[in-house]
Amino acid sequence: MASDPLPSPSLRRLVRAAGHTLRSRLYLATLAVMAAFALLADLLGSPYFTLSLILASLYIALAVAWDFSSGLTGYINFGLPFFFGLGAFSTGYLVYHGLHSIPALLALDFGVGLVGGGLFALPTLRLRGPFFTFLSLLLPLIGTDIVLAFWTTFGLPTIGYYGLPFLAPTLEDSLLLLSGANALFLTGFYLLRESRFGLVLRGIRDDEEVLESQGISSFPYKVAAFTLSNGVVGFAGGAYALTTTFAGVDAFGFLFLLFPILIAILGGTGEILGAALAGYAVILLSQYLYLTMGSLTLLLFAGAAILLVLFLPRGLLGLLRKEAA
Amino acid sequence: MSALLEVEGVSKSFGGNHVLSDVSFSLADGTLALVGPNGAGKTTLLNIVAGQLSPDRGAVRFRGARIDRLPPARIVHRGLVKTYQVVRPLRSFTVAQHIELFSRVRGSVDAERILALTGLGPVRDRRAGELSFGDLKRLELAKALAVNPELLLLDEPIGGLSRDEARRILGSLEELKRDGMRMIVVEHRLLETLSFVDQVVALDQGRTIFSGSPARFFADPAVRAAYLGGGHAPRG
Repeated sequence: MASDPLPSPSLRRLVRAAGHTLRSRLYLATLAVMAAFALLADLLGSPYFTLSLILASLYIALAVAWDFSSGLTGYINFGLPFFFGLGAFSTGYLVYHGLHSIPALLALDFGVGLVGGGLFALPTLRLRGPFFTFLSLLLPLIGTDIVLAFWTTFGLPTIGYYGLPFLAPTLEDSLLLLSGANALFLTGFYLLRESRFGLVLRGIRDDEEVLESQGISSFPYKVAAFTLSNGVVGFAGGAYALTTTFAGVDAFGFLFLLFPILIAILGGTGEILGAALAGYAVILLSQYLYLTMGSLTLLLFAGAAILLVLFLPRGLLGLLRKEAA
Repeated sequence: MSALLEVEGVSKSFGGNHVLSDVSFSLADGTLALVGPNGAGKTTLLNIVAGQLSPDRGAVRFRGARIDRLPPARIVHRGLVKTYQVVRPLRSFTVAQHIELFSRVRGSVDAERILALTGLGPVRDRRAGELSFGDLKRLELAKALAVNPELLLLDEPIGGLSRDEARRILGSLEELKRDGMRMIVVEHRLLETLSFVDQVVALDQGRTIFSGSPARFFADPAVRAAYLGGGHAPRG
């Protein structure tokens, strides 16, 4: 008799539940859209379009990660660019110290994000509401200042590392790699969102005190969510450095905060899948507008963000769910 | 029979205001009503038992172990859970999700049984934000039952409900009592509440003025003075 590959009943239940979750039409449609864009870039062969999609993929990774931690828990984290920059600078540092393997670099960037995220989360997530948000807001400024103040101490050739290796031999391969990584992150975060872990995170957003008074200590859940999320942000930062072949202070920039949050809100906060779909729309549109409107594009997006929060606070997926109900 | 819960000489002040002064009672089995006029200190006492407030003096013991310095989440793990006077549902959760979320805090529970007992079966897939006030009150009870408690602390479970709605909840509580659930109920609606409890502790201005059976409650001169006026109830 063949032995059962999953002898534990709880593991079998877990796998069955995961299988059920991943049969969701929305999840499958999201993966199909990601695959379609990767294929389209290959067919069109336009470097600008492919680069735009690479940028979209990086922002999607950031948006999905932000949505998983902040969107689900309601703890607004403005520290995203810090962990993004941390990933980028780790890549530069490691390359300058002789590590050239792309998978190893990306894995280490993920690890740096995890460790950095955990170290940030442990003291700050004991604070609630605006205090946590305020501390997170300071992080990118601290990152930028440290680099500017100590760049010679870190052995940086300029205010950043240049001449880094490419993520993949061609732009299309880079896009494929990032799309694959995003599919993996999206699947992981989506499975967690649909599990009891995700239910606790959503409970934190609704009323954390009720959770505590009913025997659920929210702190370990929050720390786990923010640590995991910042791991992905670190990975994205590393991938960004390998795409531009440069890791500089621009990686701590405001855009790596504005666009991910805008994308997450447009997709529907806490929806995870919505962020992936909205990411393509926002970044492709912004890339097109940059060509025609230049620096006014940012102003346009800031205005769109205000309108979005006022008139579509639940985002596109929230709207779809309302219509379906 | 040894006491399940012992409240021993508990005092609590907020600023210079003495809300509870040397309050003691114990519960071994069955149900206990904690009653008293507005401002008597009932909810404060319930919050101290649930760990949401710490006493200035005195002790709270559950199964012989002190719990008065434990955080609320750990007290729930010991087997005590409190419902809120003003309902506090998780607005984006369905009724079933509430039960699912809390059902693994102290081992598994029968979700279907909770839904049947609270009468929430027909609205199990509705979000809390869409429920009527009566349903929200029953959800408060369902949420507490989901953690599989040994002692339920109910803060005004029928407060604000119509007579019919109150009767439904009291029916659920009576069924729970028959199943052996121990309960402490804080409630203003005395006639409806005292019909199903075994023991009454009455507070007035933070002091215990009565402790005994429901049958003796209304005849007690201190209780009559507290509820009907004619000077403060005698101390002691």
